[in-house]
Amino acid sequence: MLFVILSLVLGVLLALLLPGYIPPTYTPYVAIAILAGLDSVFGGASAVINNQFQLKVFLSGFIGNVVLAALLTYIGNLLDVDIYLAFVIVFGTRILQNFTIIRRYLLNRHYSFHPLQKPKEEGDSPS
Amino acid sequence: MKMKASQIGIGIVCFVMAFAITLQIKSVKWSAANQSDMSQRISTLQEELKAEKEKSEALYQTVIQYKDELETFKQEAAQSSDVSKALAKQLERLELLAGVSEVEGPGIVITLKDAAKAANNDDIVHDMDLFSIINELRAAGAEAISINGDRVVNTTEIRCVGPVVSVNGNRHASPFEICAIGDATTLESAVNFPGGPLEMMRLYNIEITVKKMNKVKIGAYTGNINFQHATPAVKED
Repeated sequence: MLFVILSLVLGVLLALLLPGYIPPTYTPYVAIAILAGLDSVFGGASAVINNQFQLKVFLSGFIGNVVLAALLTYIGNLLDVDIYLAFVIVFGTRILQNFTIIRRYLLNRHYSFHPLQKPKEEGDSPS
Repeated sequence: MKMKASQIGIGIVCFVMAFAITLQIKSVKWSAANQSDMSQRISTLQEELKAEKEKSEALYQTVIQYKDELETFKQEAAQSSDVSKALAKQLERLELLAGVSEVEGPGIVITLKDAAKAANNDDIVHDMDLFSIINELRAAGAEAISINGDRVVNTTEIRCVGPVVSVNGNRHASPFEICAIGDATTLESAVNFPGGPLEMMRLYNIEITVKKMNKVKIGAYTGNINFQHATPAVKED
């Protein structure tokens, strides 16, 4: 838990201190990539809650979603078709769904039923 | 602290997300600030343009004032002696020929208007159309010609500039009014003959009217004529 918070803070600090900027031509792609990343993170949290988290799935989903979203937005730009809209709607929907799951868990864990079992000790299952 | 691979993975992903979001926000703010700079530049340039226009208007008024004073001096000089009277007459005659004085006399007035529904480039009045009309007028003995009030002198250019025509550096748009002083009947037939410039333009739906008038008033050339290369030739015996 601490490591996660630390890495969040570190990320913010590093971006603030770094002198460069993302060139304005790329900002739309980075924006949709951020949305894809957020969806992946929320999906990962939801998986942890349901005790179904697998690092492979999480990482591949994160990178894959980001790359796919940015790539398809770029292609949509070339074709003059607003493909990014699909991603906005789908990612937005999934973020809200996963957020509901997280919210339920957080609200309910002080009550009797504790759905989250002890996670496995030895890291995740290989291959 | 023993950390599971999953924790490390999540940590790295969180780091990347935080980094990307912060950098993106920073960049968007920076480019927004840049664009407001540009709009500031535009409004500064607009102010400068307005100031320059006002200056040139004031200078134009000064020129008119000086011309009036010059006129007064000329008149006074013409009264003083026979020599100066002769010179004044010569000056007046040369001004008439050069186009720098207002003239009046019988002649015609031609109005040209772009086709009401200009479908393509051929339906509008071009510089070449004005040129060929003036050519015919001159061949028919026109002594003074003006286009929309701009006197046509021997250094006058008539050129298409985008959608308008530039005459003496001034821009004019349709409708065009060409005034010419000369023998009204000759001038009228000179431009109206079959196969002439007006007939061609009528084919393209350009609205044309030609009016003979007993008295046409044509203003003086208002620009500056300054010869920088041509000098009076030295007579060789």
